[in-house]
Amino acid sequence: MQTLTYRFPAREAATHSIHVGVVASGDLEILLEPPTPGDDDGVVVRVRTSVNGFDTVWHDVLERFFTRTPLAGRWELNDFGATPGVVNLRLRQASEAATS
Amino acid sequence: MTELLAGQSWQDLLARQSFIELDALGRAGALLDLGSLRVLAGPFDRLESPWLEPQGITPQADDGTVVARGTVDGCPVVVAAIEQGFLGGGTGEVSGAKISQALLLAAADSRAGTPTAAVILFETGGVRLQEANLGLNAVAEICSAVLDVRPHAPVIGVVAGTVGSFGGMSIAAGLCTRLIVTPQARIGLNGPAVIEQEGGIDEFDSRDHTLIWAVDGGGQRYATGLADALVPDDSNLLRGAVTDAIHAGVLEPGRHRSERLDVLASRLAVYDPANTPSPSNLPALWGGAYEPVPASVESAAVQAAVQATDPPTTRGRTWMRALSGSATVEPIIPSVLSATTGDARYLAVVPDPANRLYRAREGQVGLTESLALAQAVRGLVEADKEAEHKRAIVAIVDLPSQAYGRYEEMAGLHQAMAATTDAYHAARVAGHPVAAVVVGTALSGGFLTHGLQANQILALDDPGVEIHAMHQAAAARITLRTVDELNELAKTIIPMSYDVEDWAKLGFCDGLLTVANADDPTHEDVETVRAAIEDAVQRARVGPRDLSNRLDSDVAVTTREASRRVRDVLAQQWNPVT
Repeated sequence: MQTLTYRFPAREAATHSIHVGVVASGDLEILLEPPTPGDDDGVVVRVRTSVNGFDTVWHDVLERFFTRTPLAGRWELNDFGATPGVVNLRLRQASEAATS
Repeated sequence: MTELLAGQSWQDLLARQSFIELDALGRAGALLDLGSLRVLAGPFDRLESPWLEPQGITPQADDGTVVARGTVDGCPVVVAAIEQGFLGGGTGEVSGAKISQALLLAAADSRAGTPTAAVILFETGGVRLQEANLGLNAVAEICSAVLDVRPHAPVIGVVAGTVGSFGGMSIAAGLCTRLIVTPQARIGLNGPAVIEQEGGIDEFDSRDHTLIWAVDGGGQRYATGLADALVPDDSNLLRGAVTDAIHAGVLEPGRHRSERLDVLASRLAVYDPANTPSPSNLPALWGGAYEPVPASVESAAVQAAVQATDPPTTRGRTWMRALSGSATVEPIIPSVLSATTGDARYLAVVPDPANRLYRAREGQVGLTESLALAQAVRGLVEADKEAEHKRAIVAIVDLPSQAYGRYEEMAGLHQAMAATTDAYHAARVAGHPVAAVVVGTALSGGFLTHGLQANQILALDDPGVEIHAMHQAAAARITLRTVDELNELAKTIIPMSYDVEDWAKLGFCDGLLTVANADDPTHEDVETVRAAIEDAVQRARVGPRDLSNRLDSDVAVTTREASRRVRDVLAQQWNPVT
C-alpha cells in the first residue's frame, strides 16, 4: 500500500460532502469534503492505493481531471486497483454530486 | 438456469431491478421506505479498521458495513448491510462492532416499548483473517446480540449473493427469526475452498459449481427448511418478502429453528454418511418444513453403528476428569463428555476415532457434537428453571476446529452450531454463570460454538494453548502470505497472533492461568484452575449477563478502542437530532 498526496489549484469549492464508491477489486471510494476555513483554497488529494509504484500515473490522471474540474476541497481516495478510467468516472461522479 | 428464475418469467427477469447488483448502501435503501434511510456511523465518521493500513491493505471509510435506520411499511427498522466487494465481506473488529452494537440498540428500544426490527444483509466469507481473533469475537458478539433482539422484535436475515454467507456469520444467520434467500445465495459454515484445502478434493471439489449450489445454494436451503423464503433477485420482491417477514413479528419462544433440538435430533438420526446421502434426496428425507422427521429403520441402524473404542488421551479429556473431581464423566455421545457436580456441569468435546461423521473424529465440533452440547446445556437450564441459584456451566475447550466436511455442509452445520450458540446464550441470560476454560487449541467455529458465548473466558498460559480464527497454514494460504510473514505481522498486529499471551491482551480474557504441566496436570495445577473457575463463576454471578464486559475490561479500553468508538458513535446517532 502507498499513500500519495497531491495539490492542485482550484477555482470553485465543493458545497457539501460526498461519498462515492467502494474499496472493491478494481474500484475505489472517494470522500470529498468542502474546504474548511484555514485550509488552503486549492485541491488537496490523498490517495491510499493497494498498488505500489504508480505515483506518476496517479499524478497525471489527477492533474488532467482537476485542470478541467478545479473543485477545491479535501479529496480522499481509497483505491483497490482501479484503472485510470474507473478513477476518472468516480472523480466525475463525486464532483457532480458535490456541486449539484 | 431456470432455477434462477424462482417462479419468474424471463420477461420479469429482464425487467426487474436487480438487488444483487447493488452495493451495500443501495441494498439497504432498496429495502427501506423511500426517503426514510438514515446512515449511522457512515464514511465521514471515519470508523475505519485500525488493523489494515499497518498490513498494507487499503481500508474503507465505513469498514465495509452500512448501518442504516429507517422504516419498512412504517415500522422502525435498523438495517446492517455487509459490502461484499470489500475484503469479501469479512467480519473485522469495526464492521462487526457496527452490527452488534446496532442490534443491541434495537434490542434496548424494543424492550423499552418501541419494537425495532433488525434486518441483516449477510454477504460474507466469514471472519476477516487480517483481524483474526477480534473478528472471531465480533461474530460471537453479533450472535449474542441477535439473540438479545429476537424475543422483542424480529431479526430478518437476507442472503442474496453472490458472495453468500460463510463462516461464523452463518451461525448468526441460523439464529434469525426468519431467513430470506435468493437462488443465487449460498449459506454454509465452511466454504467449498476451505473444505477442499482441509479435506482434499474427494471431500469437496471447490471448482464444481453445480455441487456447491446443490449443497449450499439458496434453493436447497429453502427446500430443506433452513430458509423461510426463496425470492428471485428482484429488489421489489425482496422488499415485499422483508416487509412480510417483519409484519409476521416475533416467534413464540421455542419455535425458532435454533431452538428446535427435536428437529435437529430427528434429522441427524436418519442421516448417515455411510449411506452416502446426496443433496437431491435430502428434501425428501427431511421435508421442507423444519419439523421432526419420523424415526425409520435407518435411524435404528445409525444408532446401532455406534461402537465403543479406546478413546485417545487428550488435554480436553484429561482436564475434564481432573476438574470434575468425584463426579462421573459420562459421554452424551462418545465425542461429547459431560460431568455434573452439585454446583456445575462440565462439558468437553473430545476425539472419537469411530465417529460415523468421519470429519469430526479428531475432536472437531460437528453436527452431532453441536446437538449433544445444546441438549446438555438446555437440559441444565430446564432442570434449574425454578431454582434461585442456577448451576454453572463450564466449557472445557480443546478442539482443533469445526468439522470441515461435505456431509456436514449438506446437513447445515451452521444451523446445528446455531442451536448450541443459542443454548449457551439462553443459559447465560437465564442466570447460569457460563465459564470457558481453554486448555488446548480453540480454533474458529469450534470455539464460537463451544466457548465464546461464555460470560468468563479463562486460558492456560502454555505454549500448547492456541486461540485463533484459523490454523496458521490455512490462514497463510487464504491471505496469500507465507507462515513467516504471518509470524512477523503477528508481532505488531496482536489479533493475528497465535500466542495466548497476545490473545489475553484483546480484552476478553478473564484469566491467564500458569500451570506446571498442561498435558498431565499436577495436583497444584488442578487446584489453581479449579480456584480460578470458582472465582470466574462468582464474577459471572454478579456481572452482566450480556457480553458487554468484553468492551469494558481494562485491556479492552486500549486494544478495542475502535469497537468502543463504534459503540459511542452509534449510540450518539441512534436517535435523530431534533
